[in-house]
Amino acid sequence: MFLNLLFIASAILTILGAVLVLTTKNIMHSCVFLLTSLIGIAGLYATLGADFVAVTQVMVYVGGVVILMLFAVMLTGGKDFVSKAQNLLGLAPTMGNAFTYVMASFVGVVFILTNIQLIKRLGEFSKLKNNGSFVSTVNELGMLLVKDHILAFEISSVLLLGALVGAAIIARPRKQ
Amino acid sequence: MNQTIVSYLAQYEFFDFLIKIFGENSLLLTTLIFAIAAGVFVAVAATIGGLGTYAERKISADIQMRLGPNRVGPYGLLQFLADGVKMITKEDVMPNSADKFLFYLAPMLCLVGVFATLAVLPISSGFTLVDLNVGVFYLIAISSLVGLGVFLGGYASNSKWSMLGGMRGASQIISYEIPVTLSVLAITLTAGSMSFGNIVSQQEGFITNWFIFHNPFSFLAFFIYFVGAMAETNRAPFDLPEAESELVSGYHTEYTGMRFGFFALAEYIEVFVVSGVAAALFLGGYNLPVHVSIDILPIQFIQVTILVGKALALYYVIIWVRWTFPRLRVDHLMSICWKYLTPIAIFNLIGSAIWMVAFRGQSIVQILGH
Repeated sequence: MFLNLLFIASAILTILGAVLVLTTKNIMHSCVFLLTSLIGIAGLYATLGADFVAVTQVMVYVGGVVILMLFAVMLTGGKDFVSKAQNLLGLAPTMGNAFTYVMASFVGVVFILTNIQLIKRLGEFSKLKNNGSFVSTVNELGMLLVKDHILAFEISSVLLLGALVGAAIIARPRKQ
Repeated sequence: MNQTIVSYLAQYEFFDFLIKIFGENSLLLTTLIFAIAAGVFVAVAATIGGLGTYAERKISADIQMRLGPNRVGPYGLLQFLADGVKMITKEDVMPNSADKFLFYLAPMLCLVGVFATLAVLPISSGFTLVDLNVGVFYLIAISSLVGLGVFLGGYASNSKWSMLGGMRGASQIISYEIPVTLSVLAITLTAGSMSFGNIVSQQEGFITNWFIFHNPFSFLAFFIYFVGAMAETNRAPFDLPEAESELVSGYHTEYTGMRFGFFALAEYIEVFVVSGVAAALFLGGYNLPVHVSIDILPIQFIQVTILVGKALALYYVIIWVRWTFPRLRVDHLMSICWKYLTPIAIFNLIGSAIWMVAFRGQSIVQILGH
């Protein structure tokens, strides 16, 4: 009951944030609404019993990504960057040209096809649902990361290290 | 698994009486207890934050051989109430070119971020609102909302001083999060848990059981945490975001009245929270020196006193540091974080891991004792 209420609240927060991101014209406000949406997703994870993933979501997105986005937006124009282009309904900016829409619809088709595969197996997942009591996922997650998924873990850490070194090389002062 | 204040109170007899009124497993009762407890937490934290401003002025006066506020109430104790009334009755000015929505949102974000951390602050073994099993991680994650509030406050004011202050604040808070998180991780590794309740209960007993004296690396981790926490809460000598000699007052230059009050209150409560966390992670938390049953209600209040006492002692040190050291330069601030604290914290983390493997998690006292 309580979890259902929280789930619905989080879902509404996520969808509302996403809709506001699309409809608002000020890009700084968009970033803040994106924050709402991301916190809503963290809430969804929490209600599904994935406590560690939920907190990681807040850590990575609220503490890192959104602040970086705001920084990037501010340093490249900030609130002056208001899109004047409108779509047919006059509600939202058009956001791109024909090519964007072709690519987006392609991605959309792929997304829907993969989601259908997931939805097919929905019956199996619902059997796994626990009796509402939370179990700590931290230990299990840690063991899985260093046992079964060690390759993915290492590859992503090398990728992040590469990004870090690359950023340092780009940002370092040039020798004249 | 997650111990909460409701599950603690459920063991007492008066709880059965409440259950009779509200019915078995009542959602309403749980919500009500949480609401009351959260209200009490927020009210007490706000009072501590308010008294923090008084303590700041009084201690600074002491250090500079002045008297400090001494007119309102005994020893000027009610000064913070007078200030609060003054702030609420002040005119709420907003700059013409400000971003209205973000201008209103920024102080709220700061305050929400700080109040959300109170949910896991281990005030005693029973009265902690909720002892999440990812408590430490949650606290670090949710407190980054404060950085966002500082940044948005600086941006929305549309003033050059606020802008510079906000940018400094955001970059400083993001940067210092890394050494702080790494040093907390060293303690998480030592305790083998991310839940505050578990970490604190492992330090039960005499002073030698505190994690700060567990091994040389955790000793170092405490100081990294403390310096980093000072920088994260924008306290001097790291108060670059509100450097009054260059930026007027930084990100809250354009704020008046209670909106400025929210920023100030958030800062003082955050200082209390980071002191409380330092006390819980390194200095034994709410544990009494002797073993006692936690089921007795007065013991809980003694535990609260112990934790708050430790936190306030650290609070004093933070204020003391503020009025003793000069402010850092921006590039020095960044080089301290990235060139000194972060490498030391990484070394520290690896050292803790090696210690845990090499000595099977024994503390230095246990090893010397044999």
